[in-house]
Amino acid sequence: MRLVVARCSVVYEGRLDASLPEANRLLMRKADGCIAIHADGGAYKPLNWMNAPNTVVEHDDKWVVTNPKGETLTIYLHEVFSDSSHELGEDPGLTKDGVEAHLQELLADLPESIEPGLTLIRREYPTAVGPVDLLCRDASGQTVAVEIKRRGEIDGVEQLTRYIDCLHADTSLGNIRGIFVAQSIKPQARVLAESRGMGWCEVDYDELRGKRTDELRLF
Amino acid sequence: MKFRVEREVLAEALGAAARVASTRNNAMPALSGVRIEVTGDKLLLSCTDNDLSVQFVLNVGGQEDGVVVASAKLMSDIVRTLPEDKVTVETIGETVSVSSGRAQFTVPTFAATDFPNIVQASAPPVTLAANLFADALRQVVRAASSDMQRLALTGVLMSAEPDGLRLVATDSYRLAVRDLPGSNILGHGEKVVIPSRALNELQRLLASGEEASLCLAGDRATFTVGQATLSTSLLQIEFPNYRQLIQPSYPNTLTTAREPLLEAIRRCRILARETTPVRLEMTATSLKLIVVTQDVGNTVEELDATLVGSDTTVGFNPEYLSAGIEAVTGDEITIQTTDPIKPAVLRGVGAPDYLYLVMPQRLTN
Repeated sequence: MRLVVARCSVVYEGRLDASLPEANRLLMRKADGCIAIHADGGAYKPLNWMNAPNTVVEHDDKWVVTNPKGETLTIYLHEVFSDSSHELGEDPGLTKDGVEAHLQELLADLPESIEPGLTLIRREYPTAVGPVDLLCRDASGQTVAVEIKRRGEIDGVEQLTRYIDCLHADTSLGNIRGIFVAQSIKPQARVLAESRGMGWCEVDYDELRGKRTDELRLF
Repeated sequence: MKFRVEREVLAEALGAAARVASTRNNAMPALSGVRIEVTGDKLLLSCTDNDLSVQFVLNVGGQEDGVVVASAKLMSDIVRTLPEDKVTVETIGETVSVSSGRAQFTVPTFAATDFPNIVQASAPPVTLAANLFADALRQVVRAASSDMQRLALTGVLMSAEPDGLRLVATDSYRLAVRDLPGSNILGHGEKVVIPSRALNELQRLLASGEEASLCLAGDRATFTVGQATLSTSLLQIEFPNYRQLIQPSYPNTLTTAREPLLEAIRRCRILARETTPVRLEMTATSLKLIVVTQDVGNTVEELDATLVGSDTTVGFNPEYLSAGIEAVTGDEITIQTTDPIKPAVLRGVGAPDYLYLVMPQRLTN
């Protein structure tokens, strides 16, 4: 992981043209090749970024980052305050709570409980921005990315959007759609998913694991 | 902004508002705040967690108009413990000062622009009798679930019935149904599911008013009680089909005095652990309550009762059972059963508008 704190300006040319005026920022260049430009705020989200695979050419006063789609990110370094590299090693990954991980296992075994005709391609399908919970194929052969949460909120839909954006880079997968799955999904998350052309599905954890206890219930 | 107000008045409103303010939203710290706006001699207090919001309009001695947002919990705790009857609140730079007598507090503020707009349902209001509605909520909301994994069960169903309004809540172990005959606040066939948390807050507000009004529009419900307005998003989710659970008749009906039964169960609960059932042995002339908890102790208590039907023994979760007996009105209560693993129904004698259905617990020998 290389961390550079610098006064820089950035020009992006690709699907659209965008630029960041000169200011102090953090540049992150990760071992997998992706580059992110952060301001001192805005939570986890970079101001601009370019995912791997890409090519970085470092000049004295600028970095030029290009990717196979022909997009270019040019970072002009006006003054470098700090430049350090750290070996982070292999990351153990996000530890999901028991229910969420178990839900993923159950749904990997029973993808039809999400949508009739759905078959599993792979669990934890790797992408540059993290693994997709389930990558499936629907009855018509279309690739389906499935994000599974215990509680379905807007951030889960955003996460699935990022995965799908990333998966689109792999043309062998063809057209990709998403399904957001949770035990319960907030109305706002449903609306956001639908507005982005994604499906959503609520699943019953107890039903999935065939929970049969001695407890008597009305429902 | 500057105003002066009676401590009790401000403390009561801040206490109610602070319960609504979010305590877990790190992404939007202003949601943990109370918005305090003074215009002339009117003070508007607002808190919201984006799903539920509450606003109070209070008469104050306004000295300077303005708006400030500060931690709702801090403001509530401070005002509640101030020494004198009068409180002065004013903004000083980026802080807000609260003073009373010789005590003075200064706390930081949030940017007022970060506080979200409060959305209220805008529709012609309908009027509710506050005490009647509060009583219905007291009887029903207790059966709602707090398990967010079963979102539909965290709400209370309000549905229009041919002869009035019906409130229903269930957590899948018990079900409470209250009818309000003659109340036509919903349109024909209309039904909504209101989060029980909102109705819990509404219950408290209803204690201070004689009349309440309700506006329903889109996905929101807004209740107004006196100077308080509570607005909540509705649960856009299908409520379980509960009607199939209520049988038209039951083979066994036990009748006994309500208060002695409640007292007996309270005593039983001293020995009952979380999963220990209270065993109800029902015979023609008596009701025996038995709790046996390994390593803790046993209790047996017998009450006078009348049983129509066959002798039967059913085990219940004592907490759920006592909640139902508390909710029922009247001096006498009936417990109707079918068999030891089918739901039992509690009703007050002479109070046909309420029933509490409770699932038994399996009994082991």
